[in-house]
Amino acid sequence: MNKIASIILTLGLVVAIGIVFWGGKENSKSVQNVEIKDGIQYITIDAKGGYSPRLSTAKAGIPTKLIVKTDGTYDCSSSLVVRAAKFQKLLPQTGETEIDLGIPEAGVPIEGVCGMGMYSFNVDFQN
Amino acid sequence: MQKYTFHVSGTHCASCKILIEDVLGEQDFVKNVLVDLKKETVEIETDSEQNAEEIAAVLTSKIKPNGYVLSVEKIDGVKNDDGVIWKAIPIGLGFLVLFFILQKSGVLNLGIGGKTTPVTSFIIGLIASVSSCLAVVGGLVLSLSAKVSQDNVSDKKNFMLFHFGRLFSFAILGGALGALGNVIGINFTFTAILGLIASLVMLLLGLNLIGVFAKNKITLPSGMFNFFRKIEHKTFTPIIIGFGTFFLPCGFTQSMQVVALSSGSFVSGFLIMFSFALGTLPMLLLLSFGSASFAHSKYAPLFFKSAGVIVVGLGLFALLAGLAGLGIISPLFNI
Repeated sequence: MNKIASIILTLGLVVAIGIVFWGGKENSKSVQNVEIKDGIQYITIDAKGGYSPRLSTAKAGIPTKLIVKTDGTYDCSSSLVVRAAKFQKLLPQTGETEIDLGIPEAGVPIEGVCGMGMYSFNVDFQN
Repeated sequence: MQKYTFHVSGTHCASCKILIEDVLGEQDFVKNVLVDLKKETVEIETDSEQNAEEIAAVLTSKIKPNGYVLSVEKIDGVKNDDGVIWKAIPIGLGFLVLFFILQKSGVLNLGIGGKTTPVTSFIIGLIASVSSCLAVVGGLVLSLSAKVSQDNVSDKKNFMLFHFGRLFSFAILGGALGALGNVIGINFTFTAILGLIASLVMLLLGLNLIGVFAKNKITLPSGMFNFFRKIEHKTFTPIIIGFGTFFLPCGFTQSMQVVALSSGSFVSGFLIMFSFALGTLPMLLLLSFGSASFAHSKYAPLFFKSAGVIVVGLGLFALLAGLAGLGIISPLFNI
């Protein structure tokens, strides 16, 4: 009997892990985090206990900068890697960091990931 | 010269072969000893006049402290291993679920603003010790502690050395960062690779604790275990591992290193890293000495297997995250 109960419990826990990891995809309420000022597009990402918003959509074909905001951030999200921009740095605990993304092409998303790899964000570029 | 073959019980690892052969080989009347892990037998050549039972009893008294028993007749090992593993899997998974829910909940993201003082770094240490850093550092400590306890190496002493080495090297390296400023940059890739190695060690030890290797007799080359066993017994090994944890990937540790770096003096860097390490200490003490006390209780088999499940889970997490951090695979999760 024990074995069957345990198998059921195990399956339940596996499902729970799945939900914790991949469930509840916070349907990124399209936060207004992209703005164009003087011909330059700024995308703002908050870094603290992960990145938010996790998915942003921006315009392709214009000079773009990424602004990463930290606010008393000590966790992994402060060690940011943006491979497409050859950016790899520990962000200041509190402050804003500007990362130049050049002129992004449409359909080539840019990904940022924290040094240990458990937090990430994506920016999609569209025409 | 007489040749005897005894059955041996309690051999759970490839290094047991070496240990038994060492101990028995030291006995004057034993001329030759050969352990066969697969058959669980010990072959002995001896010039002793005693009969098989007496020799078995004498030799058992030598290796009993390490958990091995020799017998003339095969003892039907109480093989309710299967029962244990079915309890251990849900227990281990349960802990993993709780751990990841804790990470996801955002409870640990409390902001600590202002200037970083030794007091705040102590608090950050406390938070770090239950954060996702626990997946790497804690998982490593848990797997090594359980392994050390299982192999009956003088565990308490090793744990003390590990924690001492850790506190000491955090303080000294913190001081060095403060004094030297930007001279030593801690490389991302280096840290990430160290993290990958740590996660592989965790997977290996975790599977070993669960007993995958023992059951299917997939033993690693004995040379490798010989090597592990040798370093397991060295006094400086736990100190070195404690030292190594300074470089393991952990966002909190890296943030504190930057704070120490910009603190500008040896003393302030020293104090900041020392209080950070002190903050992580309670959790790590609990893991290592908790392992030891479980390992010496009647729940030992259940503990080893549950710890194995937890360590394998954390090892997988750290491995996948580490690969994502290095840009080898795309991130599979956000936690």
